[in-house]
Amino acid sequence: MNAKPTSSAAAPLILDEKALAVLRELDPDGRHGVLLRVMRTFESSLLRLMTQTVEARDRGDLEAARHIAHTLKSSSASVGALALSACCGDVERMVRTGDTADIGARLENLLSEGERALAAVRAMLRT
Amino acid sequence: MTAPLSFSDAGLPEQPGVLLVDDDEVNLLMTAVALRGRGFAITEASSGERALELLAHWTPDIIVLDALMPGLDGFATCRALRKMAGFENVPVLMLTGLDDDASITRAYQAGATDFYVKATQWSLLAGRLQYLLRASRTRIELERSKAKLGRAQDLARMGSFDWRRAEGGLAMSPEGLRVFGFGPPDRVSLRQLLRMVPRDDRRAFLRLLHDVLRHSSVLATDVPIHLWDGRQRIIHVEAEPEFNDHGHGAGYTGIVQDVTDRRIAEDKIRHLANFDALTGLPNRRQLIWRAERALEHARRLQHQFALLLIDLDRFKIINDTLGHSAGDDLLMEVARRLRGCVRHSDQILEGALEAAGSRSHRSLEAVGRLGGDEFVALLPEVGDDDDAARVAQRVLEVMREPIFVSGQECFVTASVGVAIFPRDGATVADLIRNSDVAMYSVKNQGRNASAVYSSQLAGQGREKLELETALHKAIERHELVLHYQPKIDVRQARMVGAEALMRWNRNGRLVPPNDFIPLAEETGLIVPLSEWALREAARQAKAWQTSFGFSDSIAVNLPSNLFSRSDLIEHIHQCVTAFNVPHRVIMLEITESSLMKDLQDVIPALHRLNEIGVEIAIDDFGTGYSSLAYLTTLPISELKIDRGFVRDLGITPQSSAVVQAIIALARALGLRVIAEGVETLRQMEVLHRLGCGAMQGFLFSRPIPADDLEAWLLQTVLPRQAPWIGQASELEFGADLGRAAGGRLL
Repeated sequence: MNAKPTSSAAAPLILDEKALAVLRELDPDGRHGVLLRVMRTFESSLLRLMTQTVEARDRGDLEAARHIAHTLKSSSASVGALALSACCGDVERMVRTGDTADIGARLENLLSEGERALAAVRAMLRT
Repeated sequence: MTAPLSFSDAGLPEQPGVLLVDDDEVNLLMTAVALRGRGFAITEASSGERALELLAHWTPDIIVLDALMPGLDGFATCRALRKMAGFENVPVLMLTGLDDDASITRAYQAGATDFYVKATQWSLLAGRLQYLLRASRTRIELERSKAKLGRAQDLARMGSFDWRRAEGGLAMSPEGLRVFGFGPPDRVSLRQLLRMVPRDDRRAFLRLLHDVLRHSSVLATDVPIHLWDGRQRIIHVEAEPEFNDHGHGAGYTGIVQDVTDRRIAEDKIRHLANFDALTGLPNRRQLIWRAERALEHARRLQHQFALLLIDLDRFKIINDTLGHSAGDDLLMEVARRLRGCVRHSDQILEGALEAAGSRSHRSLEAVGRLGGDEFVALLPEVGDDDDAARVAQRVLEVMREPIFVSGQECFVTASVGVAIFPRDGATVADLIRNSDVAMYSVKNQGRNASAVYSSQLAGQGREKLELETALHKAIERHELVLHYQPKIDVRQARMVGAEALMRWNRNGRLVPPNDFIPLAEETGLIVPLSEWALREAARQAKAWQTSFGFSDSIAVNLPSNLFSRSDLIEHIHQCVTAFNVPHRVIMLEITESSLMKDLQDVIPALHRLNEIGVEIAIDDFGTGYSSLAYLTTLPISELKIDRGFVRDLGITPQSSAVVQAIIALARALGLRVIAEGVETLRQMEVLHRLGCGAMQGFLFSRPIPADDLEAWLLQTVLPRQAPWIGQASELEFGADLGRAAGGRLL
């Protein structure tokens, strides 16, 4: 299937300011460029994980999807992509509890939130 | 980012090395940044596999593991690293999600040290890491100190144990197991350990254990055990009770220690302090201690106790004749025999005697060595004098058998003095002194007997006692010397012998014989004194023989009671043998009066002496009342004309008549005659004219030290320098003239 996430379809996303504040705290005067490094790391990690998500979905590998969701849940929360983090939380919980009837839609949801987060991070990296 | 470590604990690494493992790269980065800002040195790993790779070559101070990771997750990683050598105790912090209770349990199961719920409150995480590092350090120090303790305990042959009442079990540390000869894998029960205790001791030990348990008191005791290899050890056990929350004794915790070596050393020290090294008998200190205890008992229980002072007769001479090592052998044998005379107890007694009950004073009974050849027998309870006398008699009897030392048969006798508490003294010192007085009274009366103290014996007076004591020591202190007065044959102008006269060099002053010989005779000390003189004379004869070819005799004065002693011959024999000189170098002088007094006792000895070549001279002849009948039969060789007659020669005609009669008598009996106390040339001339050519006196020489006598010979006699020599030569006639002028002067 299409492994490449589309870059349209959704409204632009604003990263959570509180989360960003925590990140800034790590490097108050910006000397170490921590914020950008985190964003770059998140960007590449997100791209990789979304690709893996698509693969897992196509294989029907729910356990893999759960692991991806777990990882992405905390890193997206860290950069302030809270909607994505919530989607990841849903997927992780559904797989763990075996309540997977609706899992296809949730994964789509995760992927589209991923796209939005990616756009937001890229926008931030451009500034 | 430059914030320093919030805790600057001493002993912690300045920058603790942290291995941070998280598959979430964002979180990994953020956590790393946050912790670096707080002073940690972070190494990142994005998977469990990568983490294990890194750990193959490096040991961080702490490891932080994300619990959920693809591939090798946190739990598997933790389990894997715990199996790696050196990672058994490295602190591992497991990062879990807030909603993940299951992971927390799994984290501990996997060997994690602690867990931490992921959050962005970095200070909390840093604080947790510091806490874990401190705990780990404390743990390492504890392990080290445990190891040190283990080594120290091993060195001290010590170990620890716990005993729980409820579980009924004994937990013994590896060091403790080694104390009992077991290895670390062995399990050992209390019952097993108890079986190692010898039966009798076990019973007492069990009693003690029950007692201690009943009262929940402290246990501290030494227990003998047999190790499996048969060795005997003494184990010190010390334990104190532990109580549960209700205050009931829950068990004991304590240590065991092999104190065998210490006990052996202590016993040895105690033995050295209390026992005589030569004979193994209780020494003076131990004896006095026992005597004090015996006295206390006797006072309290109203009975008598006896102290026997046993002094060997003539030990000094044996020592001098056969050597000190033979003397030591003899003392050991004597000690062995004496032990058999009482119910001797070798037990070291110093502590509580009372525990043993009212008859415990019986264990005080012993023979001990006061020093030198003095022994004491302590009889802690006697009914009367006879009890003590019986033991004294036994002592004398066991001495009858000859003792073989240095291949020689020695006959040793002893003099025993007995003092009985309370009659003969109220203190141990009094009892010892009075037993000494009694012992000396035995010596006076010829030794080889025993006597019980009586106040008459003590009547000798203190001053005399002191003099006597000093005189007693005079021999061993080498204070006695012999001076020699030459006997001169005036016809030949040569020395024909010498008379030995005793001098006492007391504190640098020469005590004249009149001041101590009577006392020596009275106290019996004359016996050892005379025996010493005989030996010394033999020694001197040998010395002169070597130095100038002396081949005459040295006359030694002996009191008559010595002649009646059966061992006189043996003693003289030993003396001359010791110095390899013939028996005839010793001549014995006995005064006429004492000879006549003890004539019957003395005659056999005179015959025997004569047989072995020892000549007898009768001293002070003319002053006593000699039975002429006896005189003709006595085996004597020489009469010495008393100085009294010589002094009056040429003054009173009577003295000249007496001298003449003596000379005639001697001639008739075939005896030599010699005049004593010749001081003037006139006396010499008269004596010579009357037919007495042998003389001694100040005219020729005073009694002088042995060395001076040799000098006197060389300077006076040899060069014929003395006035009496010229005079004597003029008197000379006939065949003697040639000999006097000839070379054989000495």
